[in-house]
Amino acid sequence: MAELSRHSGDPAKADMPRRRVWWLVWAYPPRFRRDVGQSLVDALDDRMRARRAAGLSVTAIWMSALADTLRNATAEWMDALRIAVRRSAFDVRRSGSAFERRTAMDSLMQDVRYAFRLWRRRPGFALVAIVTLALGVGANTAMFSIVNAVLLRPLPYAHGDRLAVLWAKTASRPQSLLSWDEYLAYREQKESFDAVALWLGQSVNLTAVNEPQRIVGVFATGSFFDVLEVKAERGRFFSEEESAAGTAKPVVVISHQFWQRQFASDPSAIGAALTLNGTPMTVIGIMAPPFDMSSVPADGWFINYDVFIPVGLFPVPGGIEHAGPGMLGVTRLKPGVTVTAANANLAVVSSRLLAANPKAQNGRTAEVVSAQESIVGDSRTPLLLLLASVGVVLLIACVNVSNLLVARAVDRQREIALRSALGASRWAVLRQLGVEAMLLAAVSAALGLAIGRWSLQGLTWLRPPSVPIPDQIPLDTRVLVFTLGVGAAVALLCGLAPALRMTQPDLNRVLQAGGRSNTGGSRVTRDVLVVAEIALSVALIAISGLLIHSMLSLQRVRVGFDSSNVFTLQFRLPTAKYPRPEEIAGFFREAVSHVRGVAGVESVALVRRVPFSGNWGDTPFTVEGRPVPQGQEPRAGQNIVTPDYFKTMRIPLMRGRDFTDRDDLQSPPVTVVNETMARMTWPGDDAIGKRINVPDFKEPLTVIGVVGDTKHRSSTEPAQSQLYLAHYQLPMIFSSLVARTAVQPLSITTEVRRAIWTVDKDQPMWSVAPLDRLVESSHGSTRFLASLLAMFAGVALLLAAVGIYGVMSYAVTERTHEIGIRMALGASADRVMREVVGRGLILTSIALAVGVPAAIGLGRLARGVLFAVEPSDPLTLAVATVLLASVSLAACYFPARRASRVDPVRALADE
Amino acid sequence: MPLRPVEFHVLLALAPEERHGYAILQEVANLTDGELEIEPGTLYRALHRMLEDGWVAESARRPAADVDDERRRYYRLTPLGRRIATAEANRLSRLVSVARAHRLLPDG
Repeated sequence: MAELSRHSGDPAKADMPRRRVWWLVWAYPPRFRRDVGQSLVDALDDRMRARRAAGLSVTAIWMSALADTLRNATAEWMDALRIAVRRSAFDVRRSGSAFERRTAMDSLMQDVRYAFRLWRRRPGFALVAIVTLALGVGANTAMFSIVNAVLLRPLPYAHGDRLAVLWAKTASRPQSLLSWDEYLAYREQKESFDAVALWLGQSVNLTAVNEPQRIVGVFATGSFFDVLEVKAERGRFFSEEESAAGTAKPVVVISHQFWQRQFASDPSAIGAALTLNGTPMTVIGIMAPPFDMSSVPADGWFINYDVFIPVGLFPVPGGIEHAGPGMLGVTRLKPGVTVTAANANLAVVSSRLLAANPKAQNGRTAEVVSAQESIVGDSRTPLLLLLASVGVVLLIACVNVSNLLVARAVDRQREIALRSALGASRWAVLRQLGVEAMLLAAVSAALGLAIGRWSLQGLTWLRPPSVPIPDQIPLDTRVLVFTLGVGAAVALLCGLAPALRMTQPDLNRVLQAGGRSNTGGSRVTRDVLVVAEIALSVALIAISGLLIHSMLSLQRVRVGFDSSNVFTLQFRLPTAKYPRPEEIAGFFREAVSHVRGVAGVESVALVRRVPFSGNWGDTPFTVEGRPVPQGQEPRAGQNIVTPDYFKTMRIPLMRGRDFTDRDDLQSPPVTVVNETMARMTWPGDDAIGKRINVPDFKEPLTVIGVVGDTKHRSSTEPAQSQLYLAHYQLPMIFSSLVARTAVQPLSITTEVRRAIWTVDKDQPMWSVAPLDRLVESSHGSTRFLASLLAMFAGVALLLAAVGIYGVMSYAVTERTHEIGIRMALGASADRVMREVVGRGLILTSIALAVGVPAAIGLGRLARGVLFAVEPSDPLTLAVATVLLASVSLAACYFPARRASRVDPVRALADE
Repeated sequence: MPLRPVEFHVLLALAPEERHGYAILQEVANLTDGELEIEPGTLYRALHRMLEDGWVAESARRPAADVDDERRRYYRLTPLGRRIATAEANRLSRLVSVARAHRLLPDG
């Protein structure tokens, strides 16, 4: 033993590696640890040192120590449990005999082999059980992965949990855009923020390349890169000064993907020139992609942007400093500062700002909302709803498999009784059943994990627009732990409960009765479980019915225009080429007349914001003769259109007239309002001829027409005031084209592009889409939710039907003898059948009595995702009830028929 | 009543003198010419079982001071343990004689 070094000297130093080894020993049962734990630690430590001295790697050494511990600790625990169980049970045999002293490991392996043998003999049972459970586990894994990726994941920046959105707050709108002055004021707010930045994403024209294209850009202050704590992969970022209004330089930072795409990752991209929005800019840096890109929400947070441009170059007339509020704020909170604390500080700053500049500030304050919350907020309810439904399906699956196992255990009663009589202890039987259940759970969990990953591909493909599911959903430890936890819970629910009940055989009774003992206690439990299953199914069917109802209502909403056969696209003119309104108007007129000439086009118009395109804006207005204090003006949704817009969209003109070509820069400004605005602003009076003031015009506008209401952002929005301005009176560089076609809208795409290119060959266009697709995709998330829930409800219904069938069928088998007697004594087949069905109906009724209120409760919780339907909608509940009742009846029918066909002679003879 | 191999090896290792855990591991390796290398966990399970059955006990005496490591626990055979080891040895020895008689083993 001389080679082993003694720990002479500092005991504390020698103890350090031992502490880590103690973690291993901690896995053993307490009594074992108490008796030999310390000694084991010493031995393990010595073994590891010796191996290290022999030259093995640290990893290998720890791996073998881990394996050793796992194997032996498990076995020790098995032994400890066995002793504990034996102490609590009636045991014929004495303990401590040599026969018993095979180690737990051997018994375990034997049980596993036995279980496999049993399964091979009854492959149907094993297959059904495993597949049922695997489907349940798989669906849960997939759904949890999504919830994990969306709700639980931080943003992929260094301190993503500290990022927050900075909103301006007004009386009418709690989440409003910031102005340049506000940004400057809040930037100085050092108490709560590490850094503040101003930004806005926009389509940017990339020209002086082979084909003019539109790329996605972010106009940002230099502090933007600071806030996100991103690094420049190459080159550098622009500074605060280089991006500020007035001192902005024509430099641009490009993203990693853009660099790969546009420059094929050529390092000479730094210093290259890009013509953006008509202005030549120099590339000064490449932004390194944030780490872990794979798990980022699809549209979120600067991941898919191509270029970053100094905010001072934002294309707005007069420059960013005079443009009023128009940008978004983002900030990184100081460590330890909560959102509430930051908001308190902000209140102080805004009141200072208000005092200094009351006219411009207009009662505006500011607020931060955590970034995570702003991305995820809306999706929380639907995702949790989905998770809950999938959990319900799993629960039902577990109940079914549990019943299956009980039924099988009862079948095996004789065998179990024999084993007991031959000397197997209660512990051994319990262990065998338990091992089988765990094995079932383990195999199902593994299969379920695979199914889960696979169905995840399908789900992400379906990705609905407003639930921010990232492109790739990773399989991380949290999901694995979740799946394992589910698997373990399944094993407990399915296996141990029935197993515990089945190991109390009264040996004599069982052997004499030939294996058909009346296990009354377990029957009640089984009935309770089935009732629970049915109740859960009802709840699930009801909630999916409510969602389907919502979906249908959404689709039936009248949007106020005819969205079929309308072609749309968007474009932005470069300010450099079109510096004056007259030039923009000139482009508009030519573009419209050229597109009108395209074959298949019935009418064409330009509109600043196409409904349901995601673009939206509103404006304050004052009515002539009705002065209103600043900051309290009424607001109306604003849109700017050329003549024929209403005709193209088939929005009815209720009174007055449409814009014409003569409403241009030289003529007095006019406006068209919608019905709601006319009714609300001039109740009981004619709106035509009235005058209003809007910020865009110095002179007052005259109302020349009233049109029907339209929905602009979503089908669920309430009616609101809308006013339209004439595009030839207010030409803007950004606009959209809408054209009513006699043919499929997308079929004219190339022709329309060519038509516009004859006016300006360098003009990029984007977002080509038929209008009905835009409207439909706004219903995307409801449709997604409804389809998924309907699918789960269907599966739940199927499983519940299988469950009822199983229980009924089993009850009939159990009582075959009794039925035989009764039929021999004169009971008719019909009577017997009615009794079985009657029992099924009773169970179903109880289940419905429980399930329907549960469904209403669930509906109330999920109210946020419902549309135009109450949680207690009687039609939906009635349908769910009838559906379930009929399925129950059908499931009872076959066992009932079997009961009625019992041959009394055979039944009696089978004694 | 055949003993498990681990148990018998431990008893053999403890027969000549008291040892602590790691020393038992090394001795077992020696006895089998390096063929049987037990992991500490396996050893201690057997040791724990034998402690509970009274075949092995912790030693109250300490060996000579120069090879003593104060914190370690030493184990020794109890009289019962010694008897069991002897019985097993005899049983194996009889088997070996039979094997010799049937020419499975060379005489020796």
